[in-house]
Formats: sequence, structure tokens, C-alpha cells
Amino acid sequence: MAGQSDPHVSLFSAEEVEFIAEDEMVEIVPNMTIERLNFISGDFGPFLPLTVNQVPLWLAVALKKRGKCAIRPPHWMSVENLTKVLEEERDSQGAFQALPFHYVEISRLLFDHAREDIPDIYLVRSLIEDIRDVRLHKVETSLEKFSGTSAVKIPNLSAMEVNIIRPFVGRALQAFYKHDNPEKIPDIDRVSSGQSRVANSEPPRRPLRR
Amino acid sequence: MASYYDIDDILTEEELVPVVFHKAANGVIIDPSSETNSVEQGAKVELPLWLAQELHWRQAVSISAPPCFNQKTRLEIQADAACVDLRSRCPYFYEFGCKILPLVGDKTIEILLLSAFKIRYKETLTKAYTAAYTATSKVLTLLTREETNLYEAAQSSMAAFKKWRMGGPRLQRASVLGRKRKPVN
Amino acid sequence: MHGRKAYQLVKEFASGEKGQLKPFNRELFGRVLEECNEHHGALQSLIRKMQEEGLDVQTARNADHYGALIHHLSLTRNKRCLMAYMYNRAEIIRVLAWKVGLLHELPEEIQEKLSDSEEEYFKDHAKTLKSYMSQMGLDVNVDMVPPKDPYIKVRVLEDVGGGIILSDKSANFARHSMHFLKRTDAEQYIARGLMEELTS
Repeated sequence: MAGQSDPHVSLFSAEEVEFIAEDEMVEIVPNMTIERLNFISGDFGPFLPLTVNQVPLWLAVALKKRGKCAIRPPHWMSVENLTKVLEEERDSQGAFQALPFHYVEISRLLFDHAREDIPDIYLVRSLIEDIRDVRLHKVETSLEKFSGTSAVKIPNLSAMEVNIIRPFVGRALQAFYKHDNPEKIPDIDRVSSGQSRVANSEPPRRPLRR
Repeated sequence: MASYYDIDDILTEEELVPVVFHKAANGVIIDPSSETNSVEQGAKVELPLWLAQELHWRQAVSISAPPCFNQKTRLEIQADAACVDLRSRCPYFYEFGCKILPLVGDKTIEILLLSAFKIRYKETLTKAYTAAYTATSKVLTLLTREETNLYEAAQSSMAAFKKWRMGGPRLQRASVLGRKRKPVN
Repeated sequence: MHGRKAYQLVKEFASGEKGQLKPFNRELFGRVLEECNEHHGALQSLIRKMQEEGLDVQTARNADHYGALIHHLSLTRNKRCLMAYMYNRAEIIRVLAWKVGLLHELPEEIQEKLSDSEEEYFKDHAKTLKSYMSQMGLDVNVDMVPPKDPYIKVRVLEDVGGGIILSDKSANFARHSMHFLKRTDAEQYIARGLMEELTS
């Protein structure tokens, strides 16, 4: 990953997480006949007008941009479902509601490219933003509870949410581990070389590490 | 184990520690109170950690806890860990502490480090994800290097996410080029 | 204090913005090297003194031994600082290939910060990458951001002159002119700040 050389950037960039999300399948309704398409990732089609097809999101967006199809918003993106999720998200303090792993990226791509295919788009968009904010706030609250070396389990966290907190959580856990168990991570190189030097009083030789 | 090339590790080892020489050493000017270019046995000197620890392992010096782990700092941390200016005491407070521990054999430093980190971690977290704190905020000047790294990790991934959410050009000028120069007209 | 100059060198590296390169500090680097020589000289003269006194250098633990030890430790400390300075700069330089591309020479604002050997290092690294890519028949130096569309709209920000190599068309790239280019062609010009991507 491009970010790897820079410890300050998450392992994946948001664009890369989005790229991975583009492999998720969505339903499209073509408005014309298109022959079978052969790609490295698989064969799709043939497409007939008004016949529902399952395609990866990237293909759906590409066809949509060229005016060849409508995208069917996934069921979880209905106002009804999102309202329910938001309520439950607000009610349950610790737990996260089950949403698609890539809900942030999928919804963003659909808002960008298929706005006319989403009924009540403004409401849907603000519901998703509210859900995301509530969840991010919850993540922060649960991170505050860290107090030592214990396994951290946060079920139902989505790809983008994980990606946002990864650089911080990784470092924080490492620090907790280090200060919680100093004896577990002995400075092997130093300790052993130090002792051997004392023991036989050799002239100082510093082993070149790496 | 930090890497040989680790910049932070190198900087941590430059922190000064008080030592007492058990052996004399000739031909070195490291004791400012000495008039000759040598160190007497029993001389009390402040040495950077990299030198002190090696001499300690060879039983040439004994090390005592540096001022940043003194009673005053401990009391301040116990009183209100979040508000203590650790950076001015030692920019690498935690790493330095971990390195000093085995040299001075003081187990209470270990407890001090963990309890300070636990409390200050929460503060760092809240600040990192709250937009109200900008890079110039005064509270950030209290953070040690380790804490600043944490803070920056949280901030930069959040900023990257927000940028993605806003959309806009995906390809951009490489940041390694530094600030944009004025185009020559 | 021993090792102070070497520390300043490392400190200078660390004080820069992350991922940014500062000009190679020839002067300070040279002074640390000088200091290394001084330590070496002092170390040798102490050892010689012990030998002249008929002591076994391997086992004798007198004041000269500890003096020599301190010089030795200072020498290895200086070495570590010098190595870390070189190594961490080299890491940034290696990453440059992915940040600004290999199609052209390094931009001037970076080139002037490199030492001669660093310039050489980048050139060799670029050469190796290019030969790897030509063997593979694959340009791995593009699409640093996951691609969307094969063509993008760009605006020329600075006079690019005639050096532009495009795979499928030629145009007059006057400053402020706008073009519809193959993304892979435009990428490096954008990375170098010569063009900017326009979004509708």
C-alpha cells in the first residue's frame, strides 16, 4: 500500500477501502440490451432491458454513468430500515447494529452516481450520516474504556470505521501492552550482550544490529 | 526492540541521567567540574543515556533516577496526570522510563508510567477526535512525543476520511515537494 | 558533551515535517565525522599508553581503559547517528519514486536537497525499477490511487514546455489550458504540481 512507508497514514487510504467496496454486488436494471461482458473478475450479463442483474458496484457505476441502467438501492438503504437502525444505534450504548461491512463506501458511491435511483435521497443521506456519527462517537467511547492489555472486540464495526481508528488503536494497544508487561518484552539484545560483557569482561564490542 | 536506525530511539537515548563514577577515566572531558581532562572515581556527572547505560553494564558507573521521575513529578501525576507538562520534563517520558527501569531497579517507575499513560491516553483520545482542538492548541504542548504520535495518528486518519467524504480531485501534488512555490510569471 | 553534534544532526532530521526532506547537512555531517576521527585518535593513544606501560589491553581495567571505552562508545554512538541520518533519508528518497514518478528527472526543489551520493542512489533505484517494469511489461508506477475513469480533465498550472510525453495525442500545453487526458499520462504531472485534476 502506498501508505505503508508513512506510519502516520492508515495502512489503507480511504480511496483504497472504497476500491475494495466496489466489488460488492448490487442489483441493476438495464435499459438496453448489452451482450455478455467478460472481465478478469468474472463474466456478467447478458443484460436485457428491465431485467434485474447482479453486478459488482464498479460495473454498476460504470454502466450508470453511461446511462445504460438504473441501480436498485440495497434493502438496508430504505428509510424504514435506516430509521430503525439509527434508533437502535442510539438506544444501545455499547453494541453496534449489523450493517453491511462497506455501508459507508457503498452509500457514498450511490449518492454520487445514482441519486435519482434512491427514493427520499435527502432523508436517506442524512440518516446514514447520523448513523455514522453516532457509531463513530460510540467507537470513541469504547476506546476510552481501554485500560490495559485485554483483547479488544468490537463486533459489527464496518470497514471504513475500522480504517479510521486503526492507526490510533494499534499504537495505543502497543503502548498499553508495553507498559503493562515490561517484563514480557525483555530487551534481549541489550540484556544478553550486557551480561556477557560483564561476565567475561571482553573489550567493548557492540554488535551491529540488523 | 527498537531498530538501530530508529530516530526516536536515538533521541530518547540522548536524555541525561545522573551517574556516579566508580572508576576513574582518563583522556575524556565529560566532567565539567574537573579541571583536568579526566574523571575521578566518585565524580558525579550527568551523562546521556547511551553512554551511561553502557558504562553501567560494565560496572563503571551507577545510575540514579533522572529528575523527570522524581517525587515532585510523581505527586503531580497522581494529583492530575492529564495536566502535567510531561514534554518539558522529558519529551520521551515513556520510552525513557522503560529504558531507565532496569538500570535503576525502581519498580515504582513502571507503575508510574502505566498510570500516567492510562489517564493521559483518554485525554489524548478525546482531543484527537474533537475538532475543537487544532494543531496549535496549548494542551498539545503538554504531550510527550509518544502521545503526540498517537494524537497525530488519530487526527490524520480522521482528516483523510473527511477528505474522502468531501470528494474532489483524487490525484494531487505530492506532499514531499513541500509548500507550493509561486509560479513564475 | 560527546555525541552532541551527532544528536543535533538526528534532531534536525526529526524536526522536519513528516515525509519532508531537508537539505543534506554537509557541514554538520562533516563535523561529526571529524569528531569520530578525534575519538579514534584519543582511543588509540590511550591504548598505546597502556601498551607502553606493559599492560594487557584485553584485561587491564585502569583509568586509561575506561577513558578508551568512553571514546569507543562515543564513536559507535556517532556512527549510529550518522547511519540513521543516511538510512532515514534514503528511505524517503526511495519512496520518491512512487510519489513523483520516474518519467522525468527529479523536480528541482527536491534535487537541490540531495547529496551527490543520494542523487546517485535515486538514479540507480529508478533504473532498477524501470528495468523491472520493462521486463514485466507492466508500468507499476501509475495508479497510485485506485483508478476510476481512464480519462480525466486537467488544467495546466505551470509551463510544462515540450517535455510532455503522451501515449495517444499531442497538444499545446500552455499554462491555464485545459485538457482531457489519459489518467496514466496525467498522473505524474499532477504529482509534480504541473497540472491539477479538475472534477466536475
